[in-house]
This record gives sequence, C-alpha cells and structure tokens, in this order.
Amino acid sequence: MTAEHVVVVDNLCKRYGDHTALAGISFSVEAGEVFGLLGPNGAGKTTTLEILEGFRRPDTGRAQVLGVNPASRSTSTELRERLGIVLQDASIEPFLSVRQALNRNAGYYRAPRDVDEVLALVGLAEKADDRVKSLSGGQLRRLDLAVGVVGAPELLFLDEPTTGFDPVARRDFWTLVRSLAEAGTTVLLTTHYMEEADALADRVAVLRGGRVVAEGSPKSLGGRDISEARIRFRLALTTDLSTLPVAPTSREGNVVEILTSDEISVLRTLTNWAAGADVTIDGLTVERRSLEDVYVTLTGGNQVAVTTEEHQ
Amino acid sequence: MSADQSVSLQRGSPVNELTRDLRLIGRHVYYEQLSFWLNPIGAFFSVGFSVVFLTLLAIAGGTSKVTFLGGVPLIEYYVAGFSAYGVMSVCFSNLAITLVIRRENRQLMRLRLSPLPTWILVLATALNMAIISAVDIIVLLLVGALAFHVALPAQPFALIVVGLIGVACFSMMGVAASTAIPNQESAGPVVSLVFFVLVFLSGLYFPLAPGSGLLQISNWFPVRHMITAVFATFSNQPGIDAFPWQDILVMAVWGVICAVIAVGRFRWEPRRR
Repeated sequence: MTAEHVVVVDNLCKRYGDHTALAGISFSVEAGEVFGLLGPNGAGKTTTLEILEGFRRPDTGRAQVLGVNPASRSTSTELRERLGIVLQDASIEPFLSVRQALNRNAGYYRAPRDVDEVLALVGLAEKADDRVKSLSGGQLRRLDLAVGVVGAPELLFLDEPTTGFDPVARRDFWTLVRSLAEAGTTVLLTTHYMEEADALADRVAVLRGGRVVAEGSPKSLGGRDISEARIRFRLALTTDLSTLPVAPTSREGNVVEILTSDEISVLRTLTNWAAGADVTIDGLTVERRSLEDVYVTLTGGNQVAVTTEEHQ
Repeated sequence: MSADQSVSLQRGSPVNELTRDLRLIGRHVYYEQLSFWLNPIGAFFSVGFSVVFLTLLAIAGGTSKVTFLGGVPLIEYYVAGFSAYGVMSVCFSNLAITLVIRRENRQLMRLRLSPLPTWILVLATALNMAIISAVDIIVLLLVGALAFHVALPAQPFALIVVGLIGVACFSMMGVAASTAIPNQESAGPVVSLVFFVLVFLSGLYFPLAPGSGLLQISNWFPVRHMITAVFATFSNQPGIDAFPWQDILVMAVWGVICAVIAVGRFRWEPRRR
C-alpha cells in the first residue's frame, strides 16, 4: 500500500451461513478519487461498504481505511472523525428542524464544518427552520448528504445516494459530489445507475457474486473505448443501397446500421455521398457501447442495470 | 506511515477531554429532549396519559380508603402508583418502542458510525429517561396535591433513590425488550400488551390485599416493587418501610439481568435488510 491509497481491500471474504457474500475481492481507492462499486443486488456492495465502515469484520482478507483497520476498536472513534457516511434509507429525527438535526450531528465531531455553510452547499438553506418531516424525498437525501459531510470528512461513503431522485435532483446531486471531490474529498460510491457511475466515477469496480469481475475507468471498462461504434440512420425506401459508399452491417426497413471502428472517416464518406447524390440522411446517430451494455454483459444479464428513466 | 500514525489523534489534555465528554453528553441529552417534547403525541402518551389515568381513577375512587394499607386514602395510593407508572411508561415502553423504530430505520446505525462514543450515548440516554421521568413525577405530585389534596412524599430523598433505581431497571428492561421485537410495526402492540399485563397484575388499578394470589405472582416482577417502593416514600404509616430496600433489591436484580440480556443481544442495524 502507498500513502496515497485511502482505501485498500485485499482478498476480502465474508460468509453469512451458507451464503458467500464476498469471495476474495481486492481493489484500492486513491486520495481524491471518486470510486464506484457497481453490481446487482446481492453482489456484495453493501457488505463491502459495511466492512470498510467498521460495521462488520471480514472472515479473511484485509481492509484498510485511511491507513487503519476499520474494525479496530482502539482507533474507531478517531477514524470516524475522518469519515463521512451516507447510508441507504436512514432516517433523521423527524420533529427536529433541519438546522437542529445538522447541528446535532455536527456536535459529534471535533472540527465540524459550519452548519449554515453545509446547508447552503446542499441547497437547504431556505429549509433550515423547517421540520425534517416536512422535507420531500430529494430534500431528505440532501440532508443525509449534509449529515455525511458536516464532519469535514477526508473520505465519504455514499451508498446508493440518488435512489428515488428525479432527473433534475440527481444531476444537482452529481454537481454537489463533484464539488466535494474537487475540494479533495475521496468518495466511495455504490450505485445501480450506470449514468451516475459514468458521470461521477474516476474508476469503477463491477461486483458479481462476491467477486470483482471488472475494474477500470467507466470510459474504458470492458473495452468500451476501443469497441466498434454503431452508426444508424434512415434513408428513403426508394434509395438504392448498392450506391452507399460504405457497406451496411444491417438494414431494417429504411433504417440502416453500420458498425465501424473508424466512425469519423465513415461519417465523412457518408455525408459527402449524400450531398453529392442529393440523398437525405435522417435520424443520424453514433453510439459506442454504453456502460450499461458493458455492465449487463459483465453481470451476466441476470439483472438488467437500472436506467434513470426506469425509476422515474 | 504506520497504521496508528496515520490517524490524527487530536486529543487534548485529560481535563479538556473530560470537558468535551461532558459537553457531548449535555448536547445529546438536549437534542433527545427536543426530539421527545416536539413530538406532541409521543409526549402525551408517555407523560400526559398517566395524568389523565390518575385523574379518572381518583374521581371514580372518591374518598375510599385502603384498609389493609393502614387506612390511607385510595387517591394517595394512586398518586404513588402513577408516579411509578410514569417512570415505567417512559423508561420501558417509550424506550423499547423508540429503540426498535430507530434500529429499523437505521438511526442507530448512523449514530454507531458517528464519532460519538457508545458510553456517552448510553449515559445520555439514561439521563434523558431520568429527566422525562422526573417531569412526569413532578406533574403527578402537583396534580395530586392541588386537585386531590394528597400530601407530598414524606421521604423525598428515598423517592429520588427509588426513582433513579427505577429508571435504571426499567430502562434496561426497555433495551432488553427491544432486542426481542423484530420490526417497528409490532413494537407498539407488543410493548403495550406486556406493559399493560404487568401493570394490571401488579395492582396499580386496585391495591392488592396481602396473601392474594395476584400478589404472589406480581412479587416476581419489578413493576409491583416499583409501585410499593414509591408508595412507601409517601407514607409515615407504621409498618410501611420508608426506605424500601427489598423492593429496590428486586428492581436492581431485574436491572442487572436485563442489562446482561441487552448487552448480549443488542443490535445497531435493522433486522430487515
């Protein structure tokens, strides 16, 4: 381990009775990085996070967080001074005001951030005097994040942080996480949303059945960056396909699809041909494999990744 | 960089640490008090309910006296009994239900993952229970004195001791009970049923005559002893011990047994995952 590794997971194993939750996973997270843990339900994400939070002990293997064993009692209070944790579905005292709830948590830390500053950061300044029970789901999640960062953590754990958000709230939340990361906070994130991992994470690890099946940048995971691009467009049904300057990979009705590893050159050829032959190309799209495509392949497709739209 | 060096131990002198710990306790108690009193329904059912119950039974009982307790007015027995009831209601029922709800909605997990030391959480919770119980007892004593002319306890020091032992015993019972309740939906019904049966058996609503069958049963449980211990602090009647050591001993034993169960079975995380 180097000093820059904020989190080290080395061959971690954990069983619950007959069920193997983790079967020897390894990865590390560097200082200032946003690292995503992806995987279907039961893949081992939450167990991993709970071990790193010091809430569970692994059966075998090693976990280190900020240089210490998170399960060690002798350093647990000091370690938690340096961690921020946003749990899934954790409630906050409903009858307190937003400011009181945050003040309460800030008081547990030796050097907390200013409460009003944190409320402004998460966009709840105007709700500071409202009761927690009057907040909407998205606002509650923002308060969760405020509780997670009020201790000025060096490392922030986010467990499925935007589940149930509408698209606007989700993008606002991403902006918030990016600003924390830019300020130097290391973030370890679990999520079902591939868009979220794509937008936020510098690196991701995909878990399946308690094992890491892939690790890397979201842009290059599963060879996304070197895979063939898919060019699709519509032509008039009367257009003679034999005049196309590039051979189509397939045609369905008037929709033509071309798979290529050199999309720039193919597009140039196509547009020159269309202009010269006075042919209209409608609905032109260029796509590479999405992170979701890669994820579904890696996880065996037994649980389709959840897209943002499916949850609205 | 060694493991221990990597964690910045920003600890001050022992005096500063003690000051910080005391501030943490005070702060936690303050926010627990806010949470409790800002929830009007919860506060009413924990505190106001005993006042309403006392008033109704006192009106129904009129000027009756309890012959086998030296002819004391029934209302005096009720004021003592409901003072005990208040402590039990707050520390057993309220605490057990609150713990189950907070465990299941992960509030306990959040606390566990914060830097708040567990011993401070436990101590602050006990102090919080003691404050609410004290408020309840004071309200009941005032209602008894002003509305029904019941004299204040003859042995206030003994009442404080009994109150503190009761808070400790029934809080431990509350924590232990919470470990046996699987979800927040069943917390209220289960705790209320157990509490009602224990209170009924223990003679809160009608004093139990010496030698009665119910007395033989209720003597095994701490509820009966809490009632008689509080009652004893009110009375200067001959034959009634003003410092009820036996009752206190029974409650202490129950407290220790429940503490062992609580420590062994307590969970911070929800059962439903």
